[in-house]
Amino acid sequence: METLGLLGFGPGGWGGLLLRGAGMTVLVSATAFVLGLALGGLGAWAKLSRFRAARAVATAYTTVLRGVPDLLVIYLFYFGGSQVLTAAGRLFGQEGFMGLPGFLAGALAVAVVSGAYQTEVLRAAVGAIPRGQWEAGRALGLRPGPNLRLVLLPQVLRVALPGMGNVWQLVLKESALVSVTGLVELMRQVGVAAGSTRRPFEFYAAGAAIYLLLTTLSGAGFGWAERRAAWDAKDRAGAA
Amino acid sequence: MRFGLIIGLAAALGLGAAPAAAKEWTQLRIATEGAFPPYNMHGPDGKLIGFEIDLANDLCGRMKVKCEVVAQDWDGILPGLNAGKYDAIMAAMSITPKRMEVIAFSLPYAASPTVFATTKGTGLAGLPGDGVRVDLGDAATAKTAVDAMRDKLKGKSVGVQVSTIQADFLNTYFKGVVDIRTYKTSDEFFLDLGAGRVDAVLAAAANIKAAMDTPDGKDIAFTGPMFAGGPIGMGSGIGLRKADADLQGMFNTALKAAAADGTLARLSLQWFKIDLTPPVLKQP
Repeated sequence: METLGLLGFGPGGWGGLLLRGAGMTVLVSATAFVLGLALGGLGAWAKLSRFRAARAVATAYTTVLRGVPDLLVIYLFYFGGSQVLTAAGRLFGQEGFMGLPGFLAGALAVAVVSGAYQTEVLRAAVGAIPRGQWEAGRALGLRPGPNLRLVLLPQVLRVALPGMGNVWQLVLKESALVSVTGLVELMRQVGVAAGSTRRPFEFYAAGAAIYLLLTTLSGAGFGWAERRAAWDAKDRAGAA
Repeated sequence: MRFGLIIGLAAALGLGAAPAAAKEWTQLRIATEGAFPPYNMHGPDGKLIGFEIDLANDLCGRMKVKCEVVAQDWDGILPGLNAGKYDAIMAAMSITPKRMEVIAFSLPYAASPTVFATTKGTGLAGLPGDGVRVDLGDAATAKTAVDAMRDKLKGKSVGVQVSTIQADFLNTYFKGVVDIRTYKTSDEFFLDLGAGRVDAVLAAAANIKAAMDTPDGKDIAFTGPMFAGGPIGMGSGIGLRKADADLQGMFNTALKAAAADGTLARLSLQWFKIDLTPPVLKQP
């Protein structure tokens, strides 16, 4: 009963704060995922490019970012970023401290790391589509833009979705590391509540349950999207 | 490892982040951890409460500056100071030579001795020197006290929080004798003590006292001497950037005034049930 009160929404209950923390976790993760997807698209394009320089840059990006601890990248953005900004500000006669807010620094850091994984996911997915598809689209008179949008991307998406689901789950869990910036997301909120009440079991268990709920729900979401993409493809194949 | 990394990072960042000329202090941002009762913690309404929050407000009133106390994760608290995210740290941070390489400290405002704790009725209860105050600054006294405990502690597991003076203490005096288990937070090792996963823990007396006052902590007992001085340090001080000597002076003056009129002792008794006013502040 006491535990319920502690985790509940009444006076003395931490429920509201935990819910806000969970919301912040989803917000940071979603921001990082979308930015990471954009970076991944760019990275995949570069990796498959016929320019050697673009390929080299993309390879360096995925090698470094997948081989460095995420926590280090977060520290680099959060503390390193503010140092660079402050120094740059001083150069232009702006005294005093300037820094990236925890949310931005954290989301950017996780985005850059997840972008490296997305690059590989998307590159592999593009590689799985026969070149003939692209050439056939061109032969039908589609220009590169519509060819990409109508012919290539739907097929790439179908192959890439399971991998993207994995990256999303990774991002959701890595967002817990952003708590070092002081951003009050779920991990930080659970830690604060556990420490302040000296009831670590209840709060860490509740935190685990909420993370599990988030990953399960989003897993189901990706499962639905995968089925839909597969069905779409079959449908179109039948129509043709 | 982790301690070294953070110190290194803080030192590296400190180089570029030193504030320019001395400025008139009208506003201060003070960082605390917000999860270390009774020093600092959050209420269920999300507000910061605790000994250090009350003390910070009192000191700021004396210094006639506007203060904002902000919560910051412990792992990033030192680099954040030198990066300029806030101007002071009040987070039960012990004054140690290692930290003084990176930041400056005010006079101590709370000094809690360090002591072993175990579960009542087990073999480690009532270690030699129970309750006696031992000054580790005196090498001979320290050696006698530690030698007296060695045999009984041999091979036992002792929980301690990582990157703390208590962890340094164990490494200095009991390395190879006890099985040192490091934890990220203090409530984790109290939990493991209750579960019998460690035989004893080493922590600040005030911290253990707070754990004793919880429903799960009624079987916790102090054992062996109360250690102070030496690697245990002078107590908790306000962490400041090395460049802000003027701010250090302001805090020291305010602390002395708070000790002289009894405010510090009153707050200490209110939050810790014991007076942790450091001896240096009691001297005129």
